Amino acid sequence: MTGTSTDRSGTIALVPPRYGPEVVGGAEAVISETAHMLAARGWEVEILTTCARDHFTWANEYPAGTSRDGDVTVRRFETQTDTPGVHRKVLGDRLLSGVRLSLAEQQLWMNDSLRVSGLWHHVLDHGASYRAIVLAPYMFWTTFAVGQIRPERTILMPCLHDEPAAYLDIYQPLFSGARGIFFLSDPEAELAERLFRLPARTEVVGSAITLPESYDPDGFRARHGIDGPFVYYAGRREWAKGWTELLDAFRRVHRSAGLRLVTSGVGEVELPAGLPADRVLDLGFVSDDERNDAMAAAAAYVQPSALESFSRTVLEAWGAGTPVIANDASEVVRWHVQRSGAGVTYRSEQELMEALTLVGADPDAFGAMAAPGRDYVVEHYDPTRIGDRFDQLLLEWTSPLSGTGSPPVADRAAR
Amino acid sequence: MTELMVTPYAPYRDGIANYAVQEVAAARAAGRDMEVLSPLPSAAQHHLRLGSALGMGRLIRAARRYDRVVLQLYPELLFGACRGRRERLAVWGLLRVLCSVTKVELRIHEIEYDEPAADPQARRLGHAALSAAAAVTVHTAPEQQRLTEAFDLVTGAVSLVDHGVNFARRTETTREDARESLGVPGDAFVFLSIGFVQRHKGFDRGVRALDRLDDPDGRVRIYVVGDIRIDHPDLLDYREELESLCRHVDGAEFRPGYVSDEEFDRWLVAADCLVLPYREIWSSSVIERAGIYGVPVIATDVGGLAAQAPAGSRVVADDDALAEAMAEVAGLSLGAGSTRDVTEVPREQAAIQRLIRERADDGGRAPLEADRLHHTPRASTDSARPGVPQAKRLIARITAWQVEPVAGHLDEVIDRLRTDLRRLDERVEHLEHGERD
Repeated sequence: MTGTSTDRSGTIALVPPRYGPEVVGGAEAVISETAHMLAARGWEVEILTTCARDHFTWANEYPAGTSRDGDVTVRRFETQTDTPGVHRKVLGDRLLSGVRLSLAEQQLWMNDSLRVSGLWHHVLDHGASYRAIVLAPYMFWTTFAVGQIRPERTILMPCLHDEPAAYLDIYQPLFSGARGIFFLSDPEAELAERLFRLPARTEVVGSAITLPESYDPDGFRARHGIDGPFVYYAGRREWAKGWTELLDAFRRVHRSAGLRLVTSGVGEVELPAGLPADRVLDLGFVSDDERNDAMAAAAAYVQPSALESFSRTVLEAWGAGTPVIANDASEVVRWHVQRSGAGVTYRSEQELMEALTLVGADPDAFGAMAAPGRDYVVEHYDPTRIGDRFDQLLLEWTSPLSGTGSPPVADRAAR
Repeated sequence: MTELMVTPYAPYRDGIANYAVQEVAAARAAGRDMEVLSPLPSAAQHHLRLGSALGMGRLIRAARRYDRVVLQLYPELLFGACRGRRERLAVWGLLRVLCSVTKVELRIHEIEYDEPAADPQARRLGHAALSAAAAVTVHTAPEQQRLTEAFDLVTGAVSLVDHGVNFARRTETTREDARESLGVPGDAFVFLSIGFVQRHKGFDRGVRALDRLDDPDGRVRIYVVGDIRIDHPDLLDYREELESLCRHVDGAEFRPGYVSDEEFDRWLVAADCLVLPYREIWSSSVIERAGIYGVPVIATDVGGLAAQAPAGSRVVADDDALAEAMAEVAGLSLGAGSTRDVTEVPREQAAIQRLIRERADDGGRAPLEADRLHHTPRASTDSARPGVPQAKRLIARITAWQVEPVAGHLDEVIDRLRTDLRRLDERVEHLEHGERD
């Protein structure tokens, strides 16, 4: 773009609540991808994050301190989870039941889970040394609290979806006060426009999807002893992600459809009564390659979550040539499906059961629907193009630091 | 030297928390090893439930590890959970002990003067605690004098610290951008009253004053920005009174909701004049922040505001002077259609009392009926009896899953009823206008 500086001096901090190869989460994956794309384009990039791997316990599993992940510096800070969590639970239940929380209650709710004093004070002490501080996703304490320290340098990557928490007053200034906002999709941006007064700088950037050069579906089947058609779900196996809904529907059709359900990710796989254990294969946490091979081997990929801000796994499934069955309540996934034509959505358990039945009835016919999926991913989410866009926006929206602009040093805050 | 600051702290929205964050940032930037202990979980390294003798005991234990402790002091921090006079006296005594285990600075933001005035023992123990502190600091000379007198302290025992010494800009936005982002017309003359909504801040006075200005072009506006801290009935009443008032005064707009530090400053940048019509206050962070951006201030002459107000500010004595100052700043005159209360006040107590009752019952003066509908109050867990608050909290937790959905639905019904009543009110008004026209 004419007139835009190409000076990439100054450090970009990216702040996810968790970071690491074993961390499962869409927002965390987007941050990781973005960090490496920016580093590859000559930016000095730091990840400021916690020592936690599990977003339920927030236990400190990684060591605190500084390490390297390729070209990216990672600074980890210990979480504090020393509150009983009663406010979080009770107020969270009220929130889910549609009750309006007062400001004081909203703040109690926010501070009654993980807190990361070291990270917060690191940004308090060194925030001025960062050219930009990119925070994601919107809902976590790390984003909420850190976003208030240097809003003029804060770029929010909210990963927003339509859920009760998004309507809390405490998030208003996080959105309105940020220097800029990166959205992952048009529906996410439209939702944000409905809920918040947005700053002047916003952009739907998308998220890079790196597709493997090849897939090994046969190898996957052989490694896990799978023959016959199966549907696949990868991600967090928890109620909020629609996992229990998927299990219920699957329980009712698995025999007639002649399908197995293969799943990977984190969270407990608790089978409902009436669903034989041999019909569900839990791979636990798997590598990216193994997940890609599972995608390629599956007759369909199921996305039961209504709370998606981008849904990388849906795009990865299309990259592997696999059709998608997705929850219509997720605006962004419905948007992907409508644009690509490479899947179907369901609006009720009955519709999900019908979709699963169709997969089992004729996997090849169902699979033909996936044909335009890969082109859709390549056309819209090519890593080079997405990386260039992030790069360009950072150049446009931020300025090199005056003075020395030296990167922050490891300090007492990490203690 | 390791230092501990005891204070409400970010990310809580609170004037003292905001003040403390800036002081901590400045101290750490200067290389001082400062940690924070907050009464609620926050970004602080430590938190302890304070406000009781037990809390103060725990604080004494924690404070031993530090070479210096700064208490950002306000009544709730010391006495918020105390169960009566004896415990309050014990807290004073323990504060004295705290001051003996390490160097303690008591940075006093607010204190209850009734207590030492009414209770000689409290005054004695307060005197002992304050005298034992390494430093007692306040922000304005009137506070300095009053505190010294209230606790019989020696002259010079209380020193002044500049309220805004560590305050820094939190936004670099321009006035145009600020107004655009906040939905404020670019060509308006903007008065601003901002902060937590509490009756003692008197934001209603600024709105009433605006109503007295002769502004034929409708160029002048007042924005009341902020919200209540908790859903206390008195605060809810006041917020609804303000909402109602703003709906009925041309040019007034109430913007309830959570305001971050950055948005707070953005409002200051967007404003032409800050109006602080406080009924009572010790000192004000808002005045200090206005000073950073050079925003003129009109403030009432209470507490230390006159001393704090930057050069060029107008400090006013009463509502008439407030309206006159606002008119002058906006380049207007006071209108003939003044809403000034011209009721003749009787001189006998019984007559005054009767008048008050009559006015309170007068539907014309009272807020709209719709505004008197409140959300379902949740059972209070307060009690002076030992163990009762804990038991009440336990019961509330156990029954929350049943009570909350019902109460929530009731609140929804109330919201709808309020909306309907307001619509009805508007229709009646419309019909009345129609008849007159």
